[in-house]
Amino acid sequence: MENKTSKPEEIIVLKNINKSFGSNVVLDDISLSFEKGKTTVIIGPSGCGKTVLIKHIIVLLRPDSGRVYFHNIRIDNMQEKQLDAIRTRMGFLFQGGALFDSMNVYENIVFPVKQHVKIKNREKLHDLARTKLAMVGMESFANAFPAKLSGGQKKRVALARAIALSPEVILYDEPTTGLDPIRSDVINELILKLKRELGVTSIVVTHDMTSAYKIADRIIMLHNGKVAADGNADYIRNHSSPVVQQFINGQADEDDLRALRAPGSDIKISDIEQ
Amino acid sequence: MSNGNGNSSLLAKFGASVIETIYHSGRFARFQWAAITASCSVCLKPAMYPLILNQMLAIGVRSVPVVAITGAFVGMVLAIQAYDQLAGLGIEEHLGVLINLSVVKELGPVLAAVMLAGRVGGALTAELGTMNVTEQILAVQSMGTNPIRYLVAPRWIACLFLTPVLIIYGDFLGMLGGYLISVPYLGINNAAYWNFSASGVEFWDISIGIVKGFFFGVAIAGVSCYKGFHCKQGAQGVGEACTEAFVGSFIIILAIDFVLVVVSKAVYSSLWPLRMLL
Repeated sequence: MENKTSKPEEIIVLKNINKSFGSNVVLDDISLSFEKGKTTVIIGPSGCGKTVLIKHIIVLLRPDSGRVYFHNIRIDNMQEKQLDAIRTRMGFLFQGGALFDSMNVYENIVFPVKQHVKIKNREKLHDLARTKLAMVGMESFANAFPAKLSGGQKKRVALARAIALSPEVILYDEPTTGLDPIRSDVINELILKLKRELGVTSIVVTHDMTSAYKIADRIIMLHNGKVAADGNADYIRNHSSPVVQQFINGQADEDDLRALRAPGSDIKISDIEQ
Repeated sequence: MSNGNGNSSLLAKFGASVIETIYHSGRFARFQWAAITASCSVCLKPAMYPLILNQMLAIGVRSVPVVAITGAFVGMVLAIQAYDQLAGLGIEEHLGVLINLSVVKELGPVLAAVMLAGRVGGALTAELGTMNVTEQILAVQSMGTNPIRYLVAPRWIACLFLTPVLIIYGDFLGMLGGYLISVPYLGINNAAYWNFSASGVEFWDISIGIVKGFFFGVAIAGVSCYKGFHCKQGAQGVGEACTEAFVGSFIIILAIDFVLVVVSKAVYSSLWPLRMLL
């Protein structure tokens, strides 16, 4: 289950990460490392701690125990001020986009740039925003407000914002969830394009297997806070574990089926009224 | 046995609530300290001034009507209520002192602050709370910007400086309302009304009312931003946070008012002999 020995550069390393919320253990002694320039997809059922895991990578959450390294520098115990510099080297695409709804699309995109760069050449800033928007196919929406955009458009703008500072690592939290299959594929192509053109390291959390097979160099499956499988797409497809097979084939659990057949599941509203 | 269990579970509940209270107090204090330090650093960064001005517009300028209306009604009601009592004693010309002193020292500042806690505090908590549940605050953080500095400090500074200004508006309208009822409507002599007012209301009284405004402003911004940043998930979470923010800032305003009254009285009585010497 552990990683292969590190030949290429490991940009992010997680060592023995534990995280609990109250009595709920979400991450149970997770150790992983991520290679530079590769796309890693993290799959697993809802609520298995995928999002919690990638939030640890950018230290939006801190582990109860364990360590997080970025370029061999320990970052999980850093002060917020020091972390700000590290975070500018990563982009995070939130599940719902998390666009600032008081700002229009253009202002959303230039926000991280304005925060970290002293702007002297406004023309170049416009060019940058235009280029990033063009990459996600949203250049005609620069003046629109997030409330006017559809779910897929929001995600594309959020992606443009996440790459505004040209980060080395992009973390995607369910980039295709809630989108129609065509829009999902557009996002997949975008992720591949960013890897190809900018050489970024991507870590994608998803439970969309079509997307996972298309974009992944490596797939990691989380289950009950632990790594259940770790390998390339073929390895996962042919994995012997029933938990992995059930997930990747999208089959309902025997327990779930039993609940559907249980007595009382056919109660009609008219029965209640009597 | 069961009694023993009951007692121990009661003790455990008490212990848990003590730990919870200490945890929340600590988190509140740390948040306020972060807000204060962030606000000081923002004051030194001209690049942040447009954000502060935006908040000043939303928090200050747009609150003028509500504060002015509150002030005017307070003055008018005071005049109507107090007139009969004073007229019974034949000293209705002292009505000006009563109205103006009450307005500038107590009712103006406190009622203006309460109105602001409702209007501004509610809006701040709802806005930041919604940003929190839609992960916009995390997004700010994920892009390497301190959310307290970017989101809280401008609101904090705007509340700090504009609450006293709004109180001045409230006081002014309160005086005007009291005057309109007392002189044109109740027929009190104009010169007597203002003469008594001038002799009864000192510069000290007006400044105490305005100084209160700085404290009230900080209380409103501090409580509302804290509640917004730490609200629970969902629409219900934001709603609860707004209610808690209003009730919290209302109680803190009253408590601060009480403390400031005690302190100002002590300061006034120790300075009074000094003034006589001068």
